[in-house]
Amino acid sequence: MTADYTVSDLMASCIAHQVDDGDVVVQGIATPLVMAAYLLAKRTHARNIIFASAIGNAICSDWAPLSLSGIEDIWVGKALRQLTFPEIVCEYLPTLKPKEFLRPAQIDPFGNTNNVAIGDYHRPRLRLPGCGGIADVTTYYDELYFYVPRHGRATFVKRLDFKSGLGVSPGGPGAAAKGRYLVSDLGTFDFSGGRLRLVTCHPGVTPESIQAKTGFPLAIAPDLKETPAPTTEELRLLRQELDPLDIRSIECLSGPARWARLREIANLELSSGTSLRGGLKPWTWIIYRR
Amino acid sequence: MSKIITLREAALLVRPGDILALGGMTLYRRPVAFVRELLRQRVGELTLLELTGGFESDLLVGAGLVRRVRTCYFGLETFGLAPMFTRLAGSGGLEVIEETEATIAFGLRATLAGVGFMPGQGLLGTDILAVRPDIELVTCPYTKRQLVAFPALRPDVAVVHCQIADRNGNARLLGNKAIDRDIALTANRMVLTAERIVDSPADLGGEIDLLGARVTAVVEAPGGAKPTSCFPLYPLGSLEILDYVLACQREDFAGYLERFLGSD
Repeated sequence: MTADYTVSDLMASCIAHQVDDGDVVVQGIATPLVMAAYLLAKRTHARNIIFASAIGNAICSDWAPLSLSGIEDIWVGKALRQLTFPEIVCEYLPTLKPKEFLRPAQIDPFGNTNNVAIGDYHRPRLRLPGCGGIADVTTYYDELYFYVPRHGRATFVKRLDFKSGLGVSPGGPGAAAKGRYLVSDLGTFDFSGGRLRLVTCHPGVTPESIQAKTGFPLAIAPDLKETPAPTTEELRLLRQELDPLDIRSIECLSGPARWARLREIANLELSSGTSLRGGLKPWTWIIYRR
Repeated sequence: MSKIITLREAALLVRPGDILALGGMTLYRRPVAFVRELLRQRVGELTLLELTGGFESDLLVGAGLVRRVRTCYFGLETFGLAPMFTRLAGSGGLEVIEETEATIAFGLRATLAGVGFMPGQGLLGTDILAVRPDIELVTCPYTKRQLVAFPALRPDVAVVHCQIADRNGNARLLGNKAIDRDIALTANRMVLTAERIVDSPADLGGEIDLLGARVTAVVEAPGGAKPTSCFPLYPLGSLEILDYVLACQREDFAGYLERFLGSD
């Protein structure tokens, strides 16, 4: 990609375009790319969206820039209401059925996902952190949205090692769930016809190279297009206002490159004193009064 | 009535084999000071029950004090996999009871309601049911719809770190509320560690989240969540979390643990 934007800028722009004004959108664990995208939607075409956040356990309509060490600022510091987690899980999610971008460790052609274990469940080659609430919400959400920051055959598999998220499952129990959209670092996809289908290739990427990195035959839309680049205004917002430290790009990195970038961001936040960006709230004097 | 005791005394409330519920979530408002004391006293054979496991949970696992974990996510957020959980759960050295947000939330609600299960949506059609043979399905007597009968979940002992509490254990939670209210109400023993302890509820400055009547002991522990965050008093210690990840990466968990236990 030769243009002066990163693939995480492009993915953030893609995700933002999937958000409609008035949506309730969910922010999961360790998903700064999605968070950047939601903020971008909020500051462009979807000013009335409401955030429901796993981090912070809160519902918010206001926003703050992304932060690594002060990540709760945006959610807790600006909460319309803080909830207990059981309130979120047992009451708000089943009622609101919000829009959420899930990041699968494995996904099959039908949108079923795995975030539990690679290999045999009882003796896995890699034990993953767990599926959070994906096994719950995918049984009753009407539509599913996915993102994959590092597209590869390890993620796009013909058959899952473990099904911890329910995609398009014709005739199966709880079959209301349906894949709608997926964006990776190579292209965007829908689930037209019930199977993952390539709809746009990111600039400079060919459908052949995407197929080569996908572990099953890809359906391809007849009117295959190029993914529109982020606009100048979107890039300005991301870089100057929403995520100046480029925390969104962490998800596209792995291993030593990721650790180095995390250290760099953490040091930047420390030196600029922005890790508690919102500052102390009026009531904190109660705790400091000694 | 004052319930204030020391960290060392409070750790004695955890017995080998207990189901230990830790408050906060992932890297936010975790009872790290308490866990440091547990690590010193080497209370073992624990079942760890958490909404999400994180830094201090991984230390307990790495130190060999945990027999099984019950959580729906065990990791270090943007910092990656929890190294010791990943290793031990992968090699069979740790039993994982596969939870989801709903199995934990509805399970605690069943205990709160004094019943054996709570019906709800989730899991149907996934492989979670195959690895959780203890979870049964029920048919709604009114709609005839098939639902999950989430089994009741009860911790033996719960530990929550809070920003401010009174001497009787009435407490406010100013950041993520997680499942703290629910584990505090359902546990047989409940330890509260607090950034600050005040004399009376009137000094708390607002509504409480945790009810003193269910609290066994209160411990003053300023900075007691570090290097995890305690909003809004201190942010997440990103560099400290990264140091832990890198120490494990170079196979130095033992050295890290020794340094951690030597610090306060």
